[in-house]
Amino acid sequence: MKSSLSPALCGLALVAATLPGAVIQTAADAPDFTLTDTYNQQHTLSDYEGQWVVLEWLNYDCPFVRKHYNGDNMQALQEQYTGEGVVWLSIVSSAPGQQGHFSNEEMNERTTEHGGHQTAVLMDPDGTVGHAYGARTTPHMFVISPAGEIVYNGAIDDRPSPSPATLSGATNYVSAALDAAMAGGTASPAATQPYGCSVKYGS
Amino acid sequence: MRNLARLRIVYQDADTRKQNVRVLSTPFPVQMKPRRSLFVAVLLLLAVVPARAQDDDPSPHSDAQLISEVASVRPGEAFDVGLKMTMEPDWHSYWINPGDAGMPTEVQWRLAEGVEAGPIQWPFPERIEQPPLTSYGYSHEVLLPMTITLPTDFEGASVTLEGKGVWLICADICLPAEQELTITLPVVHTSPQPDPNWANAFAATREAFPADVVGLSATATTTATGYRLELISDGGAVPDLSDAFFFADERAVLQHAEPQEFVRDGDAFTADFVASDFAAETPHQLTGALVLAEGETWDGTHRALKIVAPVGGELAATSSGNTASMSLLVALLFAFIGGLILNLMPCVFPILSIKILGFAQGRDHSRATLRNHGLMFALGVIVSFLLLAGLLLTLRAGGEQLGWGFQLQSPWLIGGLALLMFALGLMLVGVFEVGFGLASFGGRLDTKQGLGGAFWSGVLATVVATPCTAPFMGAALGYALAQPATSSLLVFTVLGIGMATPYVLLSLFPQWIQRLPKPGRWMETLKQALAFPLFATAVWLVWVFGLQTGINGAAFLLLAMTAIALGGWVLGRWGLPMNSSKQRGIAWTVVVVAFILAVVATGVGARQTAEAHATRSADSEWRDYDPVEVTRLVVDGQPVFIDFTAAWCLSCQANKAIALNSSSVQNAFRDKGVVRFRADWTQRDPVITAALESFGRSGVPLYVLYPPNGEAILLPAILSAGIVTDALDQLPTAIASDSHPSFP
Repeated sequence: MKSSLSPALCGLALVAATLPGAVIQTAADAPDFTLTDTYNQQHTLSDYEGQWVVLEWLNYDCPFVRKHYNGDNMQALQEQYTGEGVVWLSIVSSAPGQQGHFSNEEMNERTTEHGGHQTAVLMDPDGTVGHAYGARTTPHMFVISPAGEIVYNGAIDDRPSPSPATLSGATNYVSAALDAAMAGGTASPAATQPYGCSVKYGS
Repeated sequence: MRNLARLRIVYQDADTRKQNVRVLSTPFPVQMKPRRSLFVAVLLLLAVVPARAQDDDPSPHSDAQLISEVASVRPGEAFDVGLKMTMEPDWHSYWINPGDAGMPTEVQWRLAEGVEAGPIQWPFPERIEQPPLTSYGYSHEVLLPMTITLPTDFEGASVTLEGKGVWLICADICLPAEQELTITLPVVHTSPQPDPNWANAFAATREAFPADVVGLSATATTTATGYRLELISDGGAVPDLSDAFFFADERAVLQHAEPQEFVRDGDAFTADFVASDFAAETPHQLTGALVLAEGETWDGTHRALKIVAPVGGELAATSSGNTASMSLLVALLFAFIGGLILNLMPCVFPILSIKILGFAQGRDHSRATLRNHGLMFALGVIVSFLLLAGLLLTLRAGGEQLGWGFQLQSPWLIGGLALLMFALGLMLVGVFEVGFGLASFGGRLDTKQGLGGAFWSGVLATVVATPCTAPFMGAALGYALAQPATSSLLVFTVLGIGMATPYVLLSLFPQWIQRLPKPGRWMETLKQALAFPLFATAVWLVWVFGLQTGINGAAFLLLAMTAIALGGWVLGRWGLPMNSSKQRGIAWTVVVVAFILAVVATGVGARQTAEAHATRSADSEWRDYDPVEVTRLVVDGQPVFIDFTAAWCLSCQANKAIALNSSSVQNAFRDKGVVRFRADWTQRDPVITAALESFGRSGVPLYVLYPPNGEAILLPAILSAGIVTDALDQLPTAIASDSHPSFP
């Protein structure tokens, strides 16, 4: 599957190269990283080569994130796509003392409470990975191809509001991107303006 | 904002509190001792009570109320209400573009039948820096006005406006907030009275609206990393832009956190912006507010300028007739053909016909003499074109907003050319001869002076050709001027070569002239007949002069022409070699006085000003070009047609008469609801010059059609009614709805 995809991805890379000014663009190589999850396991992105990867920037106390977790929206996506073999990594770039940063135990408890189905929750307390990806908001979503290229970068859906009422009827960009890309097509849109709370980086 | 102090404390403690609760409620609570479980219960209670208080206050750390500018309202009249928001220190609400994070404030109305509420009118925001992120919003206090309209048949003694304000309130954390809003206003049938409590607040807020400022125009181009915004002043005072910041009002356009720097370049300011990582496509325009440093204003009151800058390059790139994509070779070919065609223009044709006659008379001279003569003529033409192009390039490099045709935007030059055409015409009909007869137009072939004469006749041919190059070759020369200086000078050189080619060929192959009948009376007859195209050209130039300077200006120019005619008559009657030297002396004195009179009259005429756009406003279906209005209509999904034209542009006038004013085109415009703009470039206008440049042109004519929400379509420079109606047929009949992004 990987080999059959690469011509399409190359084409996408050419298209993206003509867009002005992006730091992290779609079809760019996803920056590699190693982070520790809330069970003290290390995860390195390049170890997942050959698999589809979703990165989700997470802050459980952000109202926009709460919309997606309280409405069972995020967990349903996680369950569906991890079921299809996708690696789903939720990354917490909140600095210690900032909103959204919790001890591993607390984080695990919240994840369990919400019924999260992500592959792992990764802690990025100094924001290195957040900065490398230009993560702006929680949630901010990335879809990475088996070849390690970013095929989607942006919002989770088209309703930039914390109101739970906006979940119904929303167009989910992440599932659209995954469905298209995993079927051998290209994600469209491949980039959208992410919305939500600012990522609580340390100063 | 009830319990504010309490809430703030609660929030700061929230994380530790929850952690405590969770630690205590882990694994085996049953094994706890009674005293300890009491402690747990107290802790739990402490944790829950404030949390509920927080849930109870729908608008944490902030408050909002609905206020009205008027104390009473009248049916059928619009009035402004406003969402008055107050925020605790360090807490923010958001602008229409919240930036990297956040959400714009909105009002969800529940209005009675027929009552309508307009969108929020946003005062300019401030930057909220949370490195590496930047958001745009408001702190402390803000008033967000909205316009309400009551229907004319509204009945009832009062009207109640109800709705819900919804916003996001953020410090280092964000909380959703909402507030039920209601206001009741008495309905009267006299003039509505302002509410003294709030009138000042509304007035102050309006000063914070991004303003349309006269004398400034903005355009944008794409760059490797994003966009360059260019702000052009038409010469008035411009404030200090060193600490200015451009707030784009749509989200996925610019990188919000990137620093900005405005650089002065003559009358223009430029700033480079980095495009958003999330831009799906290049926008048609950059829109937003350009906010000056505190204490600076654009016009004495407004700190923010409304920017609607069409993004060039991208628009032009979508058109079929894009000159920017023309290769240099093609441009050179066009220039050569254009130069050839120039010989047939009414202003050039007579002069050059006479030149051929001069060749015919001199056909007995040696081939070498003829060849040198032809080449000197070509040199004169080429050097004049290069001087003209060089002058234009130098002026442009100096920051002047000029395009090809600039030479016809000055009434002085128009007047001078009109006098020249008229004088040449008089000479051809034989009113006078000043050694400017057939022989000297041809240049005296047998003397060295003749070579100089040939050069100057080339210069003369180019000068009389200038009013014709602009009308007929604006688009091609626009390409030339958009190129590096060497390429554009090359194009002008080839244009001159094209113009001179027929004469150079004739001088190289004089046997071709042998086919002409032998010199005789027919030559004199033809020469006199050729005066009339020149007179016609003069009439046209007087008309253009009149458009620029009004009927009084035109009268002064006609007076100047009368003086020229007087001088010519005196010279023809008493200035001949057969007259006595005294007679000739007096005759020449009269000629000089008449010439001075003509110059003075032209000068006085050129200083007259035309009645404000008399010809344009008479044509009520066409609006005067306004880039801001055009962009607003295009964004609103209205089809728009722009006619870039000038009075001195002959092909523009032909297109107008044949195509644009034809009934089929007029009907098509009406059927499709196309809003028509006329950009009149008869006189200097930096705004129109900038707009032309954004389409890769530096001259008229240019015809631009914006389909609803679509890419600009450029129509050909030569129009027929069919071309225009075919383009209009592509438009949908129904007008598309508002395409502005909404934030549900």
